[in-house]
Amino acid sequence: MANESTLALPAEQVETVTLTVNGRQITAPKGTNVLQAALNNGIKIPSFCWHPKLKSVGSCRMCYIEVEGVPKLLVSCCTPVAEGMVVHTESDLVRQGRKAVIEFTLINHPLDCPTCDKGGECDLQDLTFAHGFDDSRFAFQKYRFVEEGSSSSFDDHRIGPEIILNRNRCILCYKCVRANKEAFGEYDLGVYERGNIAEINAAPGEQVDNPYSGNLVEICPVGALTNTDWRYKIRVWLTQQDDSVSIFESSGINIRFWKERQKNHIYRVTARPNDAIDDGWLADVTRYGYQIATSPHRLKTPLIRKDGKQVEASWDEALELIAKRFRSVCDSQGAVCVGGIVAPWQDNGALMRFNALFRKHLKSNNVDFRTDYKNLPSTPTSDFSLLASQPFRIAQIDSSDVILTFGSDLLREHRNEYLRARKAMTFNDAQVIVAGPYATKHADISSAELVYAPGSEEAAIGALGMAAIELGVATDTGFSESFGNRSLADLCSVAGLESDDVRAAARTLATAERPSVIVGELITRSPARDGIAKALNNLDRLLGLSTKGQVAALAAYANSRGAERLGLLPQPADATRAQLTALFGGLSEHDGLTTDQMLQAMTRNEFNACFVLGADPVQTYPDRSFVEEALGKVEFLVVADTFESETTEVADVVLPLSTWAESTGDFVNLEGTVQTARETIRPMHQSKPASEIIDRIAALVTGSDADTTVDIDDAIRALLAVAPAASWAEKYRPVTLPNPEANESNVIALYVGDDPHHLSHLTQHASSLMNFVGEAYAEISSDLAARLSVGSGDTVRLEHGSAKIILAVRISEHLDSDVVLVPRNFASAAVTGLQSRSARVDRVKISRVEG
Amino acid sequence: MHYSPVITNADQAIKSDKLHLFRYVEDPNQKQIDTYMTHGGYTAWKKVLNDMSPEAVTGEVKESGLRGRGGAGFPTGVKWGFVPKDSTKPRYLICNADESEPGTCKDRVLMERDPHGMIEGMAIASFAIKSNLMFCYIRGEFGECIRATEAAMHEAYDKGMLGKNIMGTGYDLDMVIHTGGGAYICGEETALLNSLEGERGMSRVKPPFPAVEGLYACPTIVNNVETLAAVPFIVNNGAAWYKSMGTEKSAGTKLFSLTGHINRPGNFEVELGMPLKDMIYSPEFGNGIPDGKKLKAVIPGGASTPYLTPEQVETVLLDYESMEEHGSMLGSGAIIVLNEDTCIIWSIYKLIHFFRHESCGKCTPCREGTGWLEQIIKSILDGKGKPGDIERIEDLCENILGRTICPLGDAAVMPIQSAVKHFRGEWEFAIEHGRPMVKTDFAFT
Repeated sequence: MANESTLALPAEQVETVTLTVNGRQITAPKGTNVLQAALNNGIKIPSFCWHPKLKSVGSCRMCYIEVEGVPKLLVSCCTPVAEGMVVHTESDLVRQGRKAVIEFTLINHPLDCPTCDKGGECDLQDLTFAHGFDDSRFAFQKYRFVEEGSSSSFDDHRIGPEIILNRNRCILCYKCVRANKEAFGEYDLGVYERGNIAEINAAPGEQVDNPYSGNLVEICPVGALTNTDWRYKIRVWLTQQDDSVSIFESSGINIRFWKERQKNHIYRVTARPNDAIDDGWLADVTRYGYQIATSPHRLKTPLIRKDGKQVEASWDEALELIAKRFRSVCDSQGAVCVGGIVAPWQDNGALMRFNALFRKHLKSNNVDFRTDYKNLPSTPTSDFSLLASQPFRIAQIDSSDVILTFGSDLLREHRNEYLRARKAMTFNDAQVIVAGPYATKHADISSAELVYAPGSEEAAIGALGMAAIELGVATDTGFSESFGNRSLADLCSVAGLESDDVRAAARTLATAERPSVIVGELITRSPARDGIAKALNNLDRLLGLSTKGQVAALAAYANSRGAERLGLLPQPADATRAQLTALFGGLSEHDGLTTDQMLQAMTRNEFNACFVLGADPVQTYPDRSFVEEALGKVEFLVVADTFESETTEVADVVLPLSTWAESTGDFVNLEGTVQTARETIRPMHQSKPASEIIDRIAALVTGSDADTTVDIDDAIRALLAVAPAASWAEKYRPVTLPNPEANESNVIALYVGDDPHHLSHLTQHASSLMNFVGEAYAEISSDLAARLSVGSGDTVRLEHGSAKIILAVRISEHLDSDVVLVPRNFASAAVTGLQSRSARVDRVKISRVEG
Repeated sequence: MHYSPVITNADQAIKSDKLHLFRYVEDPNQKQIDTYMTHGGYTAWKKVLNDMSPEAVTGEVKESGLRGRGGAGFPTGVKWGFVPKDSTKPRYLICNADESEPGTCKDRVLMERDPHGMIEGMAIASFAIKSNLMFCYIRGEFGECIRATEAAMHEAYDKGMLGKNIMGTGYDLDMVIHTGGGAYICGEETALLNSLEGERGMSRVKPPFPAVEGLYACPTIVNNVETLAAVPFIVNNGAAWYKSMGTEKSAGTKLFSLTGHINRPGNFEVELGMPLKDMIYSPEFGNGIPDGKKLKAVIPGGASTPYLTPEQVETVLLDYESMEEHGSMLGSGAIIVLNEDTCIIWSIYKLIHFFRHESCGKCTPCREGTGWLEQIIKSILDGKGKPGDIERIEDLCENILGRTICPLGDAAVMPIQSAVKHFRGEWEFAIEHGRPMVKTDFAFT
């Protein structure tokens, strides 16, 4: 695996101790438990309940060890290493103890291995073979859990959209309940009853449907928790595994595909723990998102619009038509009238080829990967770009003492970093400060929560800085001046914050030793992001946050960072532009157009041919009617995608695009690490990987068989090697304070984000995920619901101008102000129709639908 | 009278300058703060606040030799000393009033009739460990205890014995009463902590010990009601006075709950070191076994302690060392007397049924082992025992003893081990003849 990370984690001096295990001297950091220390040295101590990322509880008692000088057996997962300790893991007493535990564990276990889907990868099966008896001394009826009202003794009931529970197989290691609580902060699964009839079950009246629920199945050591995605479809020993990374998360979560080669089918995805990135936890989107590859609804052949109807066509016909039309537009209208929009989850090879196709072969600088951001300023070295390119280490969140999330609905945006923040709080007592325009789920781990008025970010940042100065925990070297010398009280009043809350947060932040500041999508997608970045720059300058720790706006998609670094922007940063010029033998003179500018040009009939690769702007770009108008007017629209979408519907040529599972490609995660996703199945139907499609178009456009002038791999290497410009937080920048509008009666701020189980137009084709999501909803506070006299499941109308949508109400557990959250990517609820391309905060009229 | 009509030896205590815990428990007004103060209540608290340092209080208690009265008998002052001196976290004191060991009903009497004694002891202990918040975790079924403690707490606040800036000394102390949800295991200190935190009542692995990382991961001291109730007397009368009672290693007095086949069941405060025989047969205590029946066995310290045989009862003394020498434990001081008509297997079945029901289910040997043992013992009692069952019981006990997270596993098997050892003939008879040797007349489930 390529890993270009150059940033080393801070080498902390860890105290170590030396102990002897089975006659071998080993060294381990102080505080490690014996089980972990032994494992790190290749000595495996069997266990059921221990998990490397959870607190040890010592409940299964399988990991007994004998320590010289201690008369009793100890459990190694709860025994810290000590200097000079002499440990035996295979003594007679230990073996006897283990045998007894296996015997106890099995007395009420059904031993239905032949029909159990865990067979072949079951810890209990493996450890029984290794350490147990081949006979049972238990002469009584086994205890049987039976579902209420069922006559079957086979306990098999659904406790969530994906999870099926069999309580009889459960050995009560409590790993699922512990992970749910400790790692995910979820309480939809619990333990009920006690003693030998204790049982794991969904919380009364609830479903186990949290965004991490798939992990519970993966860590179950027996077949008590299985999921519909995998079970009974194939036996585990008939599968092969391939390493890959998720395209559903910008962190580059490491995954493993489980496939059957002959059938060319993927059966599941599991974690491939990488402590630097993911700790081995997968969000459900990553676990079940692979189903887009195996979906029966994929585009199967190229389509060409003939007489107003899209009809099946051959690849040759489609590609020749594309090359011909693009060439002819370039020749007749000029290269400024063609362009491409690419989804930021295409691999580096595809992105680089896309860039070369437009910049080199068609001589057009019109390329962009931002398909869901509001109309953005296109300056290459904006303050926001600097913020976004700051070095950031996911693993460093763990060791931060203070974590500030600013303008981030962390669970909806960065499920992996959300877990890291929880981990820092749970294991290292980190203080979490949450600042955002509405209360978010992760406020439950926060020590301070600042809910500022929508659209008042700069004032909230200014208030934090002024409070730190006022408290004497920061020295004003120009901060107050950069905010126009406005007082703390003044700034608080603009931001709608209580100054005491701001002071408490400011003190914590200013006195942090290793802070991590995560700037979220609510800033990244805002048209005011440069101004907000300036304010953050000043706060960083004042408090030295990025010097002591890290500050960054995190990339949103699996290869956003790659797209940026490879120059898939109309106006890339200077150094990238220089590199591109060198690689492509010069660039066209004209300024490239952003997504928004391309769409605008289309509406003016000034843009004639567009290639959309893997994206669905009709559903994702703000102001739906504008996008529809633009794409309706463009003369020639090519869309390559895996499924039919609202964008493919209006295309002149539709190309069936393979998924990332069907080709090998590299992705750059949010911290800049390059990771490879390997081809695991052959392209389905007639679909082709993006790289192959673009290569063939390029060959047709240039008239040569293959493009030999640019070595794609060399080009990628050269572009990724370009160092990001670094002038962040070096000086104060003047900030213009916003003047946020107040809500009028029933006109409230609308925030459009992702449902944690549904992240792009693609995931609606992952059936497991759709089992979680259901229909689109309008999430509002209980207070607002009361004022509107609506309850959960009732419907409300959201209106903006002439656009309106009707949605079911979901009453939020955490929202406490007048905002409405609506998830994106629901074909049935075109929420982008309510968004404007320029408004900093979208506001909608909300009203109850009668009847 | 709201409290349970239990026999006590308050009449002895009121005449004695030694017995102190039961001195006023027959005074119906003792639970009111005015009466309590007339009887010298809260003088120790005033003395501590005005004249003593936390270290001095801890030192005095350590010197007195007071040991935990909840069952484990750990030296109280030493435990207090385990609170890390340099910790900047808040500290908590918890009074463990979750008295639920079968046979034990001593703390109940204190709470119902003399709740201020416990509260004053808690306050002094809080001061000693520099805590500003103390909790009283009361067994949920103890309705009258909860009401009496609550009333007493409010009185103490009203009188300025609790709250902010107590008696102008600048010391703040608040008290919270928490009632249990019906689980025996929550009397185990780490399970109690989980329960108090709102978690499921399951024990935690030690270390870390609560004194270092207890409630909300802060230094926490958990003491039994009786232990804390003795503290004001130690402060007032000095460690030497306390040490002058009892034996060298078992100083002071102890409450015993005497139940079972006994003429005069009740709660009695005696100096440690008194012969068990006196407790059973002396007219001022148990006054012998009804109907002139012979003694078969005694469970000396609550349901979790090994049985004593009549021969052992002849020599054993009511103190920690003597009990240990005789293979049993002083435990919580619940003496259960079994006469010759008792089926040992039945008595063991009752105990294992209890422990199986109360096992929290966290660790495997206790969770599965108690259930298995119950099934085997029940089958023997039902006349369905099989050869090898006794050995199997012994083997299972070995696989549980010392291998569980908390002492519940040990508690479940120690009586069984002793009953099998001392009364093996009865077990063999039941298996061989398909019926127990002694007929039990009443239903046993």
